[in-house]
Amino acid sequence: MAVAVRDPGSEYVLNHCTKHLSRSGPPPEPGDEAAATAFRARIAEAWRFPIVGFVREVRPDDAPPVNLVTFVYKTTPGDGRPVAVLGTFGTLYEPIPLTPVLFEGEDTGYRAVSVEVPVAELHLYKYLVDGRFVLDPINPQRKRLANGRTWSRFFTDGFLQPIILEPWELRILYRLIDQILPFRSGDAENFLRRYYFGLNRDQRKAEMPKAFRLDESVGEVNAIDKLLARDEAHRLADYRICLKQIDRALRQQNPFVEPYEMPAEDFIELYDKMANGVTIAGWDYGAYADPKFFLYLLRRHAVTTAFAHPRYAGNVGAAGWAYLEFRYADRNKKTLFDWRAALEKPLGTSPYYS
Amino acid sequence: MRDSFDVVVIGSGAGGAPIANRLVRQGKSVLVFDKGPLLRPDYEVPGRRSDYRRDELFSSGAEKILRVPGLANAGVSYYSSHVEPDINDEPHVYRGPDNRDYGTIEGYTAQVVGGGTQLYGGVSLRFTPTDLRLKSFNEQRRSPLKDDPAGDVKREARDWPYDYATLEPYYAMAEELVGICGTNDNQQKPFTSGNRYQPPLQPNPISAYANDGMAELGRRLGSNIEPYRTPLAVITRDHAPSGRKIPRDAAGNPDPESAKTSYVNRYGDPLGLKSNTWVSLLGPVAREAGFEIRPNCVVTHLSSQNGRVTQVHYLDPGGIARTVSGRIVVVACSAIESVRLLKLSAAQDDDFDRRINQNPLLGRYFLTHCFGGARALMPGRFDKSKALDADWATDCCATDEFLEANNLWAGAAIYNNTSDQALPLSLFRTHGSQDLDTLWNGFMSDVGMRADGFIKFLDDEFGRGLSISFMANQVPQFDNRIELHPTVKDKWGRPVAYVIKTWHPHDRYLMDTMARQCGNVLRYGGDPVGRNYPIQGQGAIYMAENALARMANHILGGARFGTDPKDSVLDPQNRAWEFDNLYVTDGAFMPTSGGANPTLTIQANAFRVADHLLTRV
Ligand SMILES: Cc1cc2nc3c(=O)[nH]c(=O)nc-3n(C[C@H](O)[C@H](O)[C@H](O)COP(=O)(O)OP(=O)(O)OC[C@H]3O[C@@H](n4cnc5c(N)ncnc54)[C@H](O)[C@@H]3O)c2cc1C
Repeated sequence: MAVAVRDPGSEYVLNHCTKHLSRSGPPPEPGDEAAATAFRARIAEAWRFPIVGFVREVRPDDAPPVNLVTFVYKTTPGDGRPVAVLGTFGTLYEPIPLTPVLFEGEDTGYRAVSVEVPVAELHLYKYLVDGRFVLDPINPQRKRLANGRTWSRFFTDGFLQPIILEPWELRILYRLIDQILPFRSGDAENFLRRYYFGLNRDQRKAEMPKAFRLDESVGEVNAIDKLLARDEAHRLADYRICLKQIDRALRQQNPFVEPYEMPAEDFIELYDKMANGVTIAGWDYGAYADPKFFLYLLRRHAVTTAFAHPRYAGNVGAAGWAYLEFRYADRNKKTLFDWRAALEKPLGTSPYYS
Repeated sequence: MRDSFDVVVIGSGAGGAPIANRLVRQGKSVLVFDKGPLLRPDYEVPGRRSDYRRDELFSSGAEKILRVPGLANAGVSYYSSHVEPDINDEPHVYRGPDNRDYGTIEGYTAQVVGGGTQLYGGVSLRFTPTDLRLKSFNEQRRSPLKDDPAGDVKREARDWPYDYATLEPYYAMAEELVGICGTNDNQQKPFTSGNRYQPPLQPNPISAYANDGMAELGRRLGSNIEPYRTPLAVITRDHAPSGRKIPRDAAGNPDPESAKTSYVNRYGDPLGLKSNTWVSLLGPVAREAGFEIRPNCVVTHLSSQNGRVTQVHYLDPGGIARTVSGRIVVVACSAIESVRLLKLSAAQDDDFDRRINQNPLLGRYFLTHCFGGARALMPGRFDKSKALDADWATDCCATDEFLEANNLWAGAAIYNNTSDQALPLSLFRTHGSQDLDTLWNGFMSDVGMRADGFIKFLDDEFGRGLSISFMANQVPQFDNRIELHPTVKDKWGRPVAYVIKTWHPHDRYLMDTMARQCGNVLRYGGDPVGRNYPIQGQGAIYMAENALARMANHILGGARFGTDPKDSVLDPQNRAWEFDNLYVTDGAFMPTSGGANPTLTIQANAFRVADHLLTRV
């Protein structure tokens, strides 16, 4: 299918890239990986590239949801070398040219193109600069393929499959987070079952595959995977190391069952040890000195992903908010958390905000 | 590219926008610079989708790690909004109690067209007449001041170079042109020009406790001063001066209540109902021939000849150095950044240096507010997700009688916060930590809050928290100051701002006194019979671990105005002494910080300066 290229205007592009990309020193030369790494390291939020935003034109109500994905390449003003992007979101034989971004009619050195990409997708791409394929020097997300080639990667809102965590890591994480969030009490569990069941068929088809063991969670494990793949990739190392320690500690605690199948008590015991700074048998303190720190991190991630806007892939179908909506009501059964009124359709019901 | 204008305004927030608005309307050519992006409300986007989102991760997003070498807190986490500068790129550094240097996000308002008014709560109070004459008031006072053994207050307090009556018409102008709702009955400030407020929306029901508690406080203090609806920069009716309209419901009727979403404080408003300076003052003149705005451009320094600023140097969005000139140059970058810009200019230009540093006051008498309050879990639960930032306010702790009775040098406005902790993530991330530098810490370390403990927390807190805040003058101190940091540089290699400040003993006394009154509002309001409702706590920012960083988003002073060139940086018209065409109009001009949130006063003063500039160009 042909890619829909959109022009959100240079103001849009500059609005989203200046803060991050305007800085002293020349941009890296195409293909100079060392220079790109150094350049990228100075940008606190390099993960914001490519820019995954919203289409600015009017779209028909029934149009399938898409993100506006804007690729930005930085060179020096006046550089005439052509820049294009080639990726799995389009055809792999037709690079899409980036064009100079102008400020008051003058070249800024940024090259950009915006395309529509359906939500909940993951794609690989490369830039073609002056006839040569290069990785995106800004976006730190990369994917190494089986053939040894590396591509740049991005994903759109609400992407459902795990990107970087292994199945065993996801399973343990799911059990650990159970101990933190309120969704495992009898009431909450029943609520979630009913809530998901109550979604209409189309919604269910869209929502159900999203969440790992959705009936008892709101998709927070999947969303943590997204956080570690992009916004907080600097925390992936903590997860990699600690999940290994946790797996080992659980096996020492209970040698008879696979960790993810252990009774809740085993997870609670471990949680308490981590929380109280008690020495944990099987934990390699040389590899990770402070289990409590990891617990703190996990607490923040669990609650963020369970209650943030569903575009971040947790809080699936807004189940986290719906839980609060259902739990808190006045005497007349009128909810005391009417979150829908402020939010965009179809998630919310605001007639004004989209 | 056009490079000369009648007026060049640097910074599009509260101090800059009123000037641009007035001068463009009078046919002058005005160029506005802002470092930040021009994010538009929905009605300026064809598909009606604003870049501002009702999304809790827009106000405080993913974790970032402070990595600035040499700072004592390198390695800490921070969570900034989508329109704050990145503190790794452009840190503000402050000196901690251990004399070591720390990075902080506290000293920024917002880096976006509209500045801090994009994220603000919109509380738009006037200062009292006494706020503008604290020197005279304290010289004539009858009761002694508490905790001021060296007589600092009498020595350092300054009267403003004009009185309340002079500012009053400009308050009225600001209220009308910016678009503010509220009530003026019971305010302890004269409204001689009449009431220009739009009517307020229905208060959130939880605020009834605040209303009742404030009324009782007034009775107990003996003044019987009643509360009033907090003036908020939110339109509730179609607003002719800016052309903004209230959304219409399916039947075609205006639906002003739709503004109450609790995505207010720290959120840009996608619908443009919050009266930030873009939607209220700049957008409405954007099509006029004289108006030009250059967003995403950072002004790096000014150069001057014989007391005239001849060139404004800036980096365009691509980082290319360019210059423009203006017959008048207005600096309004928010006080810390304005002082920094002036100091960076002085470092590069002898003429500029000699004139701006004709006395040692630039950067001195930096101010924020004495700030704090009290919090309680109220007996009832309410839907706090339908709220604006504040519902009720009282001036009963701002009267001269109250100051005399309590041995205080200056008073405070007291108001209730309604939208705070209304949404789930804001409840969690501010649990146990109220400031920007320590977000999430309280939640993360409250490890007992898990599973059923988590549900208990929600049952206790969700929809039940009510906080009462005070906003009061901070004693001006010569040593509280902004400097250029000797070693830390921003991403362009320019020295960053260095904040050095402490709290005066009288500040602490004042904060304790006011926090107690805020606690009383809750004690009285939560228990109409015994008037002794249990509260969670009361306190003030001087007690915080990072007390020396805390600024409550109110960045004031550092280039104070006055009538004596030896005692001030700016003249009474906000013109830098020794310069012909250089004006500073953000909060930096304030010699005292006022007993209320500062923005309306910054705007009113800027409208006043605009009238003066019209006599010059
Ligand atoms: C979350 C929050 C809540 C608040 N709530 C309230 C409230 O309820 N009531 C109240 O009165 N106040 C409130 N404030 C404070 C209010 O925002 C400020 O008082 C007000 O915006 C200050 O106006 P200013 O003109 O000094 O600076 P700003 O409005 O911040 O404007 C400064 C502008 O200058 C730009 N700039 C800086 N340096 C440069 C440069 N070198 N080149 C080009 N541009 C530059 C910045 O990007 C910014 O847009 C709040 C602030 C925040 C952040």
